[in-house]
Amino acid sequence: MFAFPFILVVHAWGMGLLAGSNAAIDLRILGVARGVPLSAMARFYPVMWFGFVINAISGVLLLVGYPTKALTNPVFYLKIGCIVVGMVLMSWVRRRAFPRDPNLPGNVRAMAVLSLLVWAGAIVSGRLLAYTCKFLLVDMKC
Amino acid sequence: MLDESLRELARWLRGSELASIMNGAWEWPIAESLHFIGLSLLMGTVGLFDLRLLGLGRRIPLSALHRLIPFGIGGFVLNMLTGICFLTAAADQYMYNPAFHLKILSMAVAGVNVMLFYTTMFKTVRTLGPGENAPLPARIIGGVSLTCWLSVIACGRLLTFYRPPAFHWCFWC
Repeated sequence: MFAFPFILVVHAWGMGLLAGSNAAIDLRILGVARGVPLSAMARFYPVMWFGFVINAISGVLLLVGYPTKALTNPVFYLKIGCIVVGMVLMSWVRRRAFPRDPNLPGNVRAMAVLSLLVWAGAIVSGRLLAYTCKFLLVDMKC
Repeated sequence: MLDESLRELARWLRGSELASIMNGAWEWPIAESLHFIGLSLLMGTVGLFDLRLLGLGRRIPLSALHRLIPFGIGGFVLNMLTGICFLTAAADQYMYNPAFHLKILSMAVAGVNVMLFYTTMFKTVRTLGPGENAPLPARIIGGVSLTCWLSVIACGRLLTFYRPPAFHWCFWC
């Protein structure tokens, strides 16, 4: 159990990298820092994928530690839903929006707003997991 | 003497209006959520700027990327405010916590580092166009900044596991 706190540390690093870099790209699409060529921001994608991979691994480890705690909590599925939408948007934006820079169609901006919302949603629901837990273990309430 | 006045301060903070608000049902989780959003904003702006200083995404002009920094500062201010809420509501849990001491130390180093950056390197760095490398001192500053913020996050996450009085090994606490 000594490893548990350090898995949480890695999960927080990955969150900052993945959600934070996505927010930076979304802000750029929404018109902040127009001097940054979107195509050059593709270089940050490996950083975001690195954040995603370390969080997938640390997340699975946290889930294995307390499977009942997460799986009996609807907030957990909300968090996973937000992450799936966020990752799909992240890939969509790179394929569809980056090549059309600087003449981005309006729907790309809507996607950037949606991306900001789902990443904030993933963070908030992740944090609330600790407070909305019903069962810690199958036969043990929180 | 110092110890007694620290205890006195902790007691006074605990009895304050803000502390009783924070101890409501949802105030603490909401403040924590905002604290994590602020953290991500800081990482996604200052962190990417540091990575550019270190040589990643060289096609991006640094002056243009710097336009994102105000959002990182916004995240930092949000985290200072929510952080003060936590500190007020459970002062003794932080004052005698080694993880909190290291967190403050990491932020202090990051603070000196950022002052060094703006007083010495910013003028040079902002003129760098696409494809140009930052000079070595600016790269070092970028590396120190990234290390400090990762350390701040790690210490923050470890805070709960080093709450007093469980940790007697901490000789300075």
